[in-house]
Amino acid sequence: MRRFMISVITATLVVLCPRDSEARRIEVVKSSHEKIPVDISGIKHSASANGGLFIKTLQSDLKRSGWFTISQAGKGAVVLGGVFTEAGQFSTFKGSASNRSTGRAYFSRSYNEKASRVRSMAHAYADDIVYSVKKVIGMASSRIIMIGSRGGKKDLYSCDYDGANLMQITRDGAVCLAPSWGPEGKTVVYTSYHGGFPDVYKIDLSVNRRKRIAGYPGLNAGADVAPDGKSVVMILSKDGNPDVYIKDMRTDRLLRVTKSQYAAEASPSWSPDGKRIVFVSNKTKRPQLYVTSRSGGGDKRITFAGSENVSPDWGSNGRIVYSSRREGKYHVCVTDPGTGETLQLTSDYADYEDPSWAPDGRHIVCSRTVGYQSELYVLDTLGDPPVRLLHHEGDWYSPDWSPK
Amino acid sequence: MKYKNLKLYISIFIFCACVCGGCRSNKDGLGGDGINPSVLDGDIGLNERFEDGIRVATSEFNPQSVMFAYDSYRVNPADKYKVAQVAAFMKQNRNVRLVVEGHCDERGSREYNVSLGEHRALAIRAALVSDDGIASKRIQTRTYGEEKPVDGRHNESAWRQNRRGEFALYR
Repeated sequence: MRRFMISVITATLVVLCPRDSEARRIEVVKSSHEKIPVDISGIKHSASANGGLFIKTLQSDLKRSGWFTISQAGKGAVVLGGVFTEAGQFSTFKGSASNRSTGRAYFSRSYNEKASRVRSMAHAYADDIVYSVKKVIGMASSRIIMIGSRGGKKDLYSCDYDGANLMQITRDGAVCLAPSWGPEGKTVVYTSYHGGFPDVYKIDLSVNRRKRIAGYPGLNAGADVAPDGKSVVMILSKDGNPDVYIKDMRTDRLLRVTKSQYAAEASPSWSPDGKRIVFVSNKTKRPQLYVTSRSGGGDKRITFAGSENVSPDWGSNGRIVYSSRREGKYHVCVTDPGTGETLQLTSDYADYEDPSWAPDGRHIVCSRTVGYQSELYVLDTLGDPPVRLLHHEGDWYSPDWSPK
Repeated sequence: MKYKNLKLYISIFIFCACVCGGCRSNKDGLGGDGINPSVLDGDIGLNERFEDGIRVATSEFNPQSVMFAYDSYRVNPADKYKVAQVAAFMKQNRNVRLVVEGHCDERGSREYNVSLGEHRALAIRAALVSDDGIASKRIQTRTYGEEKPVDGRHNESAWRQNRRGEFALYR
């Protein structure tokens, strides 16, 4: 599948970083890949507002997925069919997708939701289409959490994957940092100063409850929940130096992963199998990315191009996305830690920071700062143009994409 | 015979360990750059947090901020007197406790900057403990990263002002 994806990138521009003797080849994606036309004319819906919202959301989801275009009626390689009906407080959609040339059905399924959740129903159908046709986890049902700074007050906010349904999560108006989803997409861990010191909190979004999970003396930050949900990796300074620790959430036991007296560590992120951790360290004076095993020891530096490399996120596709300082600006790069093959996704005169993978392993959300104003953008590793996520007043940064 | 070889191996191992240790120190650029080596002999763990109490008025004692170079946590030798002034005040006022606040300029990631700011605060704390003999339990650290600049402008002069360690004294 990946080989196919690479082969459809029709042109790549090879850039060599001149400043670093150990520079790797950086490929900048310049053009797009072929998309599959989808015929949605077979979907019947009521003339109601919700019927219109359902079909509009579905069209938007299919386009945003990056894999599809909407074809003319009677054309298109993938044929959708179904009936959207409403009864009182509930909406139902019986839908299918099939291959026009073979006539074979990809799937057929019935969806039921409250009338107020019509968009969620369209998202679920869109994700089923993406999965059945492309064998890729869809992102339409996912959410994004971020920090919003509005009127000088900082708080956590979340929105749907397409920027809809923006919700304010906290009402502290205090400095907060680096929200990160738990593996089930129902909890969030982050750092907040609302208690005076930088402590790590966990918010259970299903019951709206917040609990402090690390309040050791000094710094508590950069938390990332392990893929199995049992432990949290974080930065603590209680032993006199900012280092990487793993906290077992059942026993409260701490394991110190790094011990770098002359350096500060930051931003740890788990590998998809939970065996390794990528993190930032300034042990060579400037911040760079390192990979270590969860038991510590054997750090391996993985970034060599760019004067600074920060904010890594290890995706379920095995690739690490991060922000790299190149010619004075921060740009989003993707690297395969096995081969060292690196892709630079942005190159315009703006700062791109805090990238985070979408569940599809193809898209990335990050902040884009121009003139000290930060907005969130969704980038595509296969070359579709960036899309701005939110259009609300304020500064928006540190986004994290839910795992499902 | 076996025993003799073992001794030899141990000697080689110790020799290598010393050489490697030496290399590492050199690579880290330690020694001769203004830091008392004793400060770096070992991390000084933090004690349990204490309540802030009442802030010492600037009319009584107005500590000066320690300034840092870009991406550096080292206490500049030219700024050591600022640390010494705080140490002298703490020695005269045994009930005073200190929160060292570490700050960074706005460049770099926010997450990296909270770690760097904490490293700066810990370096000042280590100097107070190792050089000036202040009890470590009297000093906490609090990093703000790039979140609380003294100069909100976006230029070299503002960045220089913002890379600092502040002394918040309480009794």
